[in-house]
Amino acid sequence: MPAGGGRPKVQLSEVSVAFSGHGGTVLALDRISLDVAAGEFLCLVGPSGCGKSTLLRVCAGLVRQSAGEVAIHAEHPGTPLTAMVFQEHALLPWRTVLDNVVFGPENRGVPRAERQAHAREILVLVGLARFAHAYPYQLSGGMKQRVGIARALANDPEVLLMDEPLAALDAQTRTIMQEEFLRIWAELGKTVIYVTHSIEEAILLGDRIALLTSRPGRIKQLFPVTLGRPRGLEVRASPDFGALVDKIWAELREEVLRATADDTGGSPS
Amino acid sequence: MTGTPSRRGWPEQTIGIVSPLLLLVAWEAASAAGLLRPQFFPRPTLILGHALDLALDGSLGRHAGITTARVAAAFALALVPGVAVGLAMGISRRVRDGLDPLFAVTYPIPSVLFLPLFSFVLGPAEAALVATSAMTSFFLVAYTTMTGVQQMDRTVLEAATHFGARGRTLFAKVLLPGAMPFIFTGMRLGLGYALIVVIAVEMASAQQGLGALLWLSWGLLKVEDMYAALGAIALLGGGLLWMLDLCRRRLVPWQPDVAGG
Repeated sequence: MPAGGGRPKVQLSEVSVAFSGHGGTVLALDRISLDVAAGEFLCLVGPSGCGKSTLLRVCAGLVRQSAGEVAIHAEHPGTPLTAMVFQEHALLPWRTVLDNVVFGPENRGVPRAERQAHAREILVLVGLARFAHAYPYQLSGGMKQRVGIARALANDPEVLLMDEPLAALDAQTRTIMQEEFLRIWAELGKTVIYVTHSIEEAILLGDRIALLTSRPGRIKQLFPVTLGRPRGLEVRASPDFGALVDKIWAELREEVLRATADDTGGSPS
Repeated sequence: MTGTPSRRGWPEQTIGIVSPLLLLVAWEAASAAGLLRPQFFPRPTLILGHALDLALDGSLGRHAGITTARVAAAFALALVPGVAVGLAMGISRRVRDGLDPLFAVTYPIPSVLFLPLFSFVLGPAEAALVATSAMTSFFLVAYTTMTGVQQMDRTVLEAATHFGARGRTLFAKVLLPGAMPFIFTGMRLGLGYALIVVIAVEMASAQQGLGALLWLSWGLLKVEDMYAALGAIALLGGGLLWMLDLCRRRLVPWQPDVAGG
């Protein structure tokens, strides 16, 4: 386990987010308090629409919280606090793989030679070195998401934010990518906040799992994952894995049912 | 999406060349057999002969050159403000709201009808012809450019902002390239319209240019010359669009070949 160093890397205190829509305001997140340790891999799980992605966007500064505080402890001033991997990869179609990966450093004014050398190292890490000059349309879904990860890593963030990065991929590619994450994360030891709707994926990857309630999202329960590291896909066969899946599902099921009941209850959203 | 750059195989390309040739051969045969009246449909070989004569004495080249220069001037006059206004309308809701009603009533007016006004203001010369021919082109380029900005994937914009693109950087590195495929579609439509209107105005009021050649030949019942002018206009239009597609392939290399516009 990476050293925590005492102070948490990410500190969310009483964070609430309300969106104003047609029929008044909707509370998306309700007083979320959560600490993420340096080097920790935290997974956020919850029913659809519970505000997992919103919480991630609050951490990224893309959504402003209505109340509460977000503190990210910066160890390397000058580099960005967060970098996000988006669900639909969100690459710039007119840029090659390499130019997409250097996009963050380029906008920060990192010298060209330096940012390109760094980007090439990261492309090797994610297994895309041979595709540096390809355009996104020439890549498969899994490869595009590798570029998305490389782009986030190239920006040298304090915290890596991942918004269901594998949700759009087919089952086989997803499994391969999960293994890749485990490898990359083991190599870099970054602090990661990872949103997923898959309990299995959360247990496979995470050190800890935060389960959110249906809207408005609150932290329902935190589950430590006691499986050892380095971890591979074989842990899925262990009895501990299965037991944890059942335990989390029992809690999540309740929330999913409630979310469904809310949706069919007729209140327009 | 699989990105094979050359999806057109040989058979398809051959069909594109063979079918017009077949039509010409059929025409030739029908004229020779007396099925078509030579006053209206002279034999293609005869037309080709007249076209060669016109080409050799330099008049076809002169007319074509004048028309090309007019189309180029009209297109440039439409393109630059068209892209600028389109980008502004795509980015700023206020600009869009301010211009939309004006455009909505101006755009549907057949642009040839601006000729009297422009002749009155600019004098009955080249300037009026070029300004008239630029009108519809301008609207087409502006509207497609605006659409290009508006249709941008919101997550891509969010990601670009997240990775530090703001203000001028966001414009130059994200909005402009993002709108490029649409700008090219607008250019393709706009170029076609510029040619159409230039020819129409030439027919109505000019002594020079392919449109004038066509109209004057018709007036003198020189039907073969009229067809020669018609063929030259078709080739000019096709050639200009082909050059535009070449530019698109160079400037928009991130898009696999799509049917342009």
